[in-house]
Amino acid sequence: MTWAAPAWRGVSGWRAAAVALVLGGLALLTAGLWIPAKAVLAQLLLERAFAASLASGRPVKAWPWADTWPVARIEAPRLKQRVIALEGGSGEAMAFGPGHLLRTPTPGERGTAVFAAHRDTHFAFLGALKLGDEIRVVGRDGRRTRFEVTSLRVVRWNASGIDPRSGGRQIALTTCWPIGAVTPGPMRYVVTGRLIDAATARAPTGLRSRIAGL
Amino acid sequence: MTRFWCGLKAAGRGALIATLAGLLCVGPASLVQAQSRAQTQSQARAPGPAATVAEPPPAVAGALRLVKGEVVTEAVRLGVDVQVEIAGPVVRTTVTQAFRNTTRDWVEATYSYPLPEDAAVDSLKMVVGDRVIIGEIKEKEEARILYEQAKSSGARAGLVEQDRPNMFTNKVANVGPGETVLVQIQYQGVARQTGNQWSIRVPFTLTPRYTPPDIAEGLIRPVAFKPAGPSNTPIGLSVRLKAGFPLASAGSRSYRMKVVDEGDQGRLFTLDDPKAIGDHDFELTWTATPDRAPQAGLFTETVKGSRYVLALVTPPAGPPPKTPPPREVVFVVDNSGSMRGQSMEQAKESVVYGLTQLKPGDSFNVIRFDDTLETLFPAAVSADRRNVGKAVLFVRGLEASGGTEMLPALLQALSGPAPRDGRVRQVVFLTDGAVSDEQRMMAAIGDDQGRSRIFMVGIGSAPNSYLMTQMAAVGRGSFTYIASTSEVTSRMRGLFDKLGSPVATNLTARFEGVQADVTPAQLPDLYRGEPVMVAAKVKGRGGRVVLSGRVDGKPWTRTLALSTAIKGPGVSKVWARRRIGEVQTDRVLGKIEGDAADKLVVALAMRHSLVTDLTSLVAVDKTPVRPAGEGLREEDIPLPLPAGWKFEELFAKPAAAMAKPGEASETEQSVDLPQTATNYPLTLLAGLMLLLLGLALGWRGRGRGRGRA
Repeated sequence: MTWAAPAWRGVSGWRAAAVALVLGGLALLTAGLWIPAKAVLAQLLLERAFAASLASGRPVKAWPWADTWPVARIEAPRLKQRVIALEGGSGEAMAFGPGHLLRTPTPGERGTAVFAAHRDTHFAFLGALKLGDEIRVVGRDGRRTRFEVTSLRVVRWNASGIDPRSGGRQIALTTCWPIGAVTPGPMRYVVTGRLIDAATARAPTGLRSRIAGL
Repeated sequence: MTRFWCGLKAAGRGALIATLAGLLCVGPASLVQAQSRAQTQSQARAPGPAATVAEPPPAVAGALRLVKGEVVTEAVRLGVDVQVEIAGPVVRTTVTQAFRNTTRDWVEATYSYPLPEDAAVDSLKMVVGDRVIIGEIKEKEEARILYEQAKSSGARAGLVEQDRPNMFTNKVANVGPGETVLVQIQYQGVARQTGNQWSIRVPFTLTPRYTPPDIAEGLIRPVAFKPAGPSNTPIGLSVRLKAGFPLASAGSRSYRMKVVDEGDQGRLFTLDDPKAIGDHDFELTWTATPDRAPQAGLFTETVKGSRYVLALVTPPAGPPPKTPPPREVVFVVDNSGSMRGQSMEQAKESVVYGLTQLKPGDSFNVIRFDDTLETLFPAAVSADRRNVGKAVLFVRGLEASGGTEMLPALLQALSGPAPRDGRVRQVVFLTDGAVSDEQRMMAAIGDDQGRSRIFMVGIGSAPNSYLMTQMAAVGRGSFTYIASTSEVTSRMRGLFDKLGSPVATNLTARFEGVQADVTPAQLPDLYRGEPVMVAAKVKGRGGRVVLSGRVDGKPWTRTLALSTAIKGPGVSKVWARRRIGEVQTDRVLGKIEGDAADKLVVALAMRHSLVTDLTSLVAVDKTPVRPAGEGLREEDIPLPLPAGWKFEELFAKPAAAMAKPGEASETEQSVDLPQTATNYPLTLLAGLMLLLLGLALGWRGRGRGRGRA
C-alpha cells in the first residue's frame, strides 16, 4: 500500500489508489458540506439563545461550550434575510454567525458598529444590498435600531477606513470580496448604514444638559 | 459551478494543483486547520484575552481593576511615576500611572491607591482612551447620581471615592478594549517627626485586611483582598526636600536614591535604580543639624481670603532626667497570619528591645493576639530579671498564624486596676494594622478616659497607618513606623527614650491679636524631642501664637509672631483635613450628632476641595472639541508626562502600532477586517475532483484487470 511506481503495474495498486481517492474525495465533500450545514444549524440554536437572552437580559450561550454569545439580530427586510450575530470577530464565532468586532460600539451607540461574516454563508446577501436599503438591528437588550445603507465599498482588509469612534452612529457590515470567489484574498466588501431611528438612541434631554460638561 | 471556476481563475491553476497535491499527503483535517488559522490571523493581532479571574487580583498600590459583569481583571500597568514636594511639614505627592485595558471588552475600571494617613487627594486628571477627564469636588450623593447617569448614557465618567480613610478609589466607566488609561492624582500629607528625625512614606503596597466575622454587613464594607503580590512595573520616583532648616542627613533606606543639592530649591532625590519595582513602600528620612534644630517653625497660606497658619514647635532640648519616674508598660503584640515573615521578626525584636529597656522599678505585662489572645502574667509584674527573662522567651516563641481580632487584646490591655503609686500606664501596641473595625477600636480607647497612653508601633511593609495614628491620637500617644529589621533598634530606642521622659504636659496654643480656629483643640503630651503641631484658621492682621505648658513641673511658654511665617502651599488643606479628622473622631466617640458632623465635614470638604467619606471628586469630561475622526493629540493631555514617558507609546492604537510603516497613515483610524471566507466551495470542489479522479481510476483499473483475465 504505497504510492510507489510498482502500484501502477498491479491491479490491486490501481484499486487501492482509486479507493483512496474516492474516500479522500468523500471526506473533503463532507468537510466542505459541514461548513454551510454548521452555519445553518448554529443559527437555529442561536435564534433560541438570543430569544432567551432578550427575555433574561443577560448573555445566553447557544450551547454550553460556546466561547461567544449572541449580541444582536441583523435583518435585511427587503431581502427577507435575518441572522444572529455573535460577540467577537474570531474565526470560531464566524463559523456560526456574523461577528461583532471588538473595539467597536454596539449598534446605535456613537461611532461605527462593525459586523463581519463569511461571504459564502451568513453575509452572502451583502452583495444584494442596495443604497437606501434598510438594515434593522435588535440588540441584546431588546433595543431596536434602523439603519439606511449609505455606501457600498471595496477596501483592503487593513485599510478599511472604518473608524469605530467616528462621530455619528453607523453600522458597517463587511465580508470578503469578491463575493463569489473561492480563495481568500486581501479585499473586503463594506456596507455602511446610517442610523435613521434617532429616537431610540438619544439620551433624555434633562440628563444631557446636566452632563453637558461630561 | 460557474462560481467555482471563476474562483479558480482568480487563484490560478498552479495554486489549485499544489493544494490538491498537498491534500493527498496530509489529508483533509489540516485544510480545516489552515482555514481557521487564516481566519484568526487578523484577530491574533488584537491583545489577547485576559479576563478569566473571578476573584479580585492582589491589591498593590495604584491598581486598575477592570470589571465586566462578574469578571474582574487587573489592567496591565505601563508605568508609575511618583513626585514628592516637601516644604516644611507639608508634603505634596503627585502620582502618575498608566494602564491598558487588554481585555476584549468595554469595561468599568476601578483605580485604587493606598494613601498615607492624613493624606488628602485634591487633584485628579485622567486620559481614558481619547477623552480628557478632570476631577471636581461634589457632595457624594450628587456625585453618584451624575456618575450613574453618565454611565447609563454611555458617556465616560469617573467617580472618586474614599471608601476607607486611607484608600483612594476611582471608578472609570466605559474603558474600551485596548485603550490606555492615564491617571494622575495629587495628594497632600504631613511629614512625620520623631526626635530629631523627619520622615515621609510613599505606599507602594497595601496590606490585605482582615475583617472580623461579626461585623454587621453594611456598616463597614469588608475588602476581600488576597495578599499583595509584588508589582513588576518599573517606577519613577523623585523627591524635592525643602526642610526649612539646615540638614544633617537625608536619605532613604528603602530605595537607592541619587541626591542633588540645589541650594534654595532644596535637595532633589531621584531613584538611582532603573530595575526598581514597587514591591515595598518608599521612605525618606532627614534630620536637622542637632545644635541648630529649629525651636519653632511657622508656615502660612492664604486661600479664598482666609489665612491659615501651621505652627511647628520643638520643645527646648535639655538633658534627660537621671532617674525617670517608674511606669507600667503593657506590650501588646500581634501574631496573626498577616504578620508572617519579616513583620513577625520585627515585632519580636521590638518587644524584646522594649523588655530589656525596662528599669527594675517598672512593672510590665505582655499580651499576644491573633484571633485568640493570651496574657503572659495575670497582672502586671515587676520588671526583675526573672520576669523579663520569662517574657523574652515567651515573645521569641511566637509564631504568626490565624486572623486578627485586635479589639479583645486592646480591651485586655486597657483593663485591670489603675497602676500603683500614680505611675503612668503605657500600652505599646505592635501590629501591621491589618484590621478594619477602626471605629470600635477608637471607641474603646476613648472609653478609657485617658488612664492609659496608647503607643502604636506599625510593623512590616505596609501597616495601616491611618488606624494606628488615629488610635494613638485618641490615646494621647504616638505612632511609630518600623519598615525593616535594621530599623528596629533605632526606632524602638526613640520610642522608649520618649516613653521614659515626657517633657511637657497640659500644652495649649493661644492665638493673640487675631481670631483663630485651632486644631487640635486639645494638644497631646509633649515628649522629648517630639514637636507639637498646631493648625489654625485666623482672622485679622498680624497676631501671634503663644504656646505654653508645664515642663518638668515648671511653666513653659513660647511666642511666635505670625508675620514671620514662611509661605507653605497646602497649609489650609492641612488645617481642613485635621478639622475633619477631629469631627469624625468626635462622632465615633459620640461627642457630636451624626447629622451635624456630616454637615460640618461636607462644608469643610467642599471649601477645601477634599475627598472625604461624604464628598467625591466627579471626573468631568473636558475633552477639547476637535474635528470628527481626529484622535487624542499630545497637547490634549492635561498633565506633563513624567520623564521618559512617550505620548506615542502610551496612546498608540494597537492596530496602528502593528501596521507596516508604509501603511501607517492610511490605517491609523480604521478597523482591520477579518478574513471572511470559509472556502467551503473550494473544499467541495477539491472533494468532487478527487472523487471523480478516483472513480475514473477505478474504472480504468477494472478495464485493465478484465483485459488480463
